[in-house]
Amino acid sequence: MGRDGSAPIRNHGYCMYERHLAMRKSLYALLLVLTLGAFWVPTQAQAAEGGTVDIVGHTADGFYLEFEPMATVELPRIFLMEDASGSLTLKSYASTAAALQSGDFQLVLDGETVTSDSDLSAAIDSKKHLHAGLQPAVGSVILDFSISRHLIFGLLAMLIVALIGISLARKYKRGVGREEAPHGVFQNAFEALIVYIRDEIAKPTLGEKHEKFLPYLLTAFFFILFANLLGLVPYGAAATSNLAVTGMLAVFTFVIGQVYASKEHWKHLLLGPPEVPVLIRIILVPVEILGLLTRHFALAIRLFANMAAGALVIFSLLGLIFIMNVTFGAGAAYGAAVPSIFLTVFISLVKLLVAFIQAYVFTILSALFIGMSVEEHHHDEHHEDDAHHDTGDLTPALAGDGAAPEKARVSTEREVVAS
Amino acid sequence: MEFDPTAYAFLAAGLGAGLVTIGASYGIGRLAGPAMEGSARQPEAAGDIRTSMIIAAALIEGVALFGLVICVLLATS
Repeated sequence: MGRDGSAPIRNHGYCMYERHLAMRKSLYALLLVLTLGAFWVPTQAQAAEGGTVDIVGHTADGFYLEFEPMATVELPRIFLMEDASGSLTLKSYASTAAALQSGDFQLVLDGETVTSDSDLSAAIDSKKHLHAGLQPAVGSVILDFSISRHLIFGLLAMLIVALIGISLARKYKRGVGREEAPHGVFQNAFEALIVYIRDEIAKPTLGEKHEKFLPYLLTAFFFILFANLLGLVPYGAAATSNLAVTGMLAVFTFVIGQVYASKEHWKHLLLGPPEVPVLIRIILVPVEILGLLTRHFALAIRLFANMAAGALVIFSLLGLIFIMNVTFGAGAAYGAAVPSIFLTVFISLVKLLVAFIQAYVFTILSALFIGMSVEEHHHDEHHEDDAHHDTGDLTPALAGDGAAPEKARVSTEREVVAS
Repeated sequence: MEFDPTAYAFLAAGLGAGLVTIGASYGIGRLAGPAMEGSARQPEAAGDIRTSMIIAAALIEGVALFGLVICVLLATS
C-alpha cells in the first residue's frame, strides 16, 4: 500500500516543483519589465516637465484619442448652432483644431479668450486646446453632438456585445449547446456567465418573471463588463467612467421597473402603505418617491465613481513620480518609480476585479429594483387571512389591525428575497 | 504665513476622503466579518450570504462614493 501511495505523491511533488520553477521564471520576467518601466518613466517625466498634467482632464471625457507617445488623434466636432436671427445650422469640423482655425470658435484658456493667431497656434501646438473651452464667435451652441472618446469606446463595447450575442445566439439556434454539449472555449465561457446571471441574479430576485427581464440584465451586464474592460486596454477609455453613460443605464433600469410595475407598487408609492394612518402616509409618500429616485441615482453614481476613481488612483500613483521629480529632483523620481509602478500594477489588477464586480453589482441591483416594483406582494391575501382571523376572534382590535399585516408583509418580503 | 483660501478646500477634500474611507471600511468590515463567520458555520448557505453581502456592501460603498464625489468636487473647484 505504501509503495502504491508513494508514487503519486512523488509525482505530485515533482509537478509542484515544476510549477514553482515556472512561477519563478514569470516572476523574474515581471521584475524585468517593471525595472525597464522604472527607467522609461522618468524620461517621460522629464519630457513633460514645465507643463502641468491635468489628471482629471485625462480621466474625464475628451474630444481626442490618445496614442502617446506616437500621436494624438482629434475627433470630429459637430455643433447645432443658432445665430442672431434665430435660424439653426449644423456645423461640423474634422477636429477641435479645425473648428478653432476656421474662426467660428474661440479658445477660452484659463478664463481668458485667445484672440491672436500666434497664441492660438501655440496653444494648438502644445495641445492645450484639447483641455480648454470653446466659445462660438457668433451665435450660440444649442446642442453639442461632438464625437467624444467615451462615445467611441461605448460604441466599441456595444459592437463587441452585439457580435458576441449574435454569434452565440446563432450557435444555439443551430442546436450546439441545446441538443449537444456547448462547443469550444468561447461558447463555454459565455454560457457559464449567462447561466450564472440567470440562476444567481435573475431567478432569486425576479422569480417566475425572470425570463421577461433576462435580456435587459444580460445586455446591461455584458455592456458594462466590456466597457469597463476597455478602460484597462492601453490607450483605451472606460465609457462607464462617464456619468452620462451610467446615468442612461440607470434610467433604463428605472423605466423598465416603472413600465412593468405591478398595481401594488403604484398603490404603495402614491398612496403609502395601506395599513398606516393617513397622516403618516402624507409623510411617507414623498419619502417613498424620493427613495425610489435616490436608489436609481445611486446606481448611476456607484458605477461612475468606481470606474473614475480607479483611473484617478492610477494617475495619482504615477503622478507621484512627477511630483518627486519636481520637488526632490531626478534621484527621488527614480526611487519613487519602483514602488509607484508596483502599486500601479496592483491597482490595475484590482481594477480588473472591480470591472467584473461592478458589472455584477449593477446587474443584481437592477434586478432587485425591477423585482421590487414588479412583484405582486401577495400582501392582500395575508391581509384577508388576518381579517378573517380577527373577525373569528370577535375582537377587531385597532392596534392588532395595524401591526399584524405589517409583520406579514415583512415576512413575505423576506421569503421573496430568500427564495 | 499667508493662506490661499482654496487651500482649505483641498484640506477639507483630503480630510473628507479619509473620513469617508474610515466609515466605509468600518461598515464593510462589520459586514464581511459576520458574513464570513456565517458561511463558515453553514457552508451550504455561503452562496446566499455572499449575494446579500455584496448587495449590502454595494449600498455602503454607494454612500461612501457620494462622499468621495463631494471631495473630488471640493478639490477640483
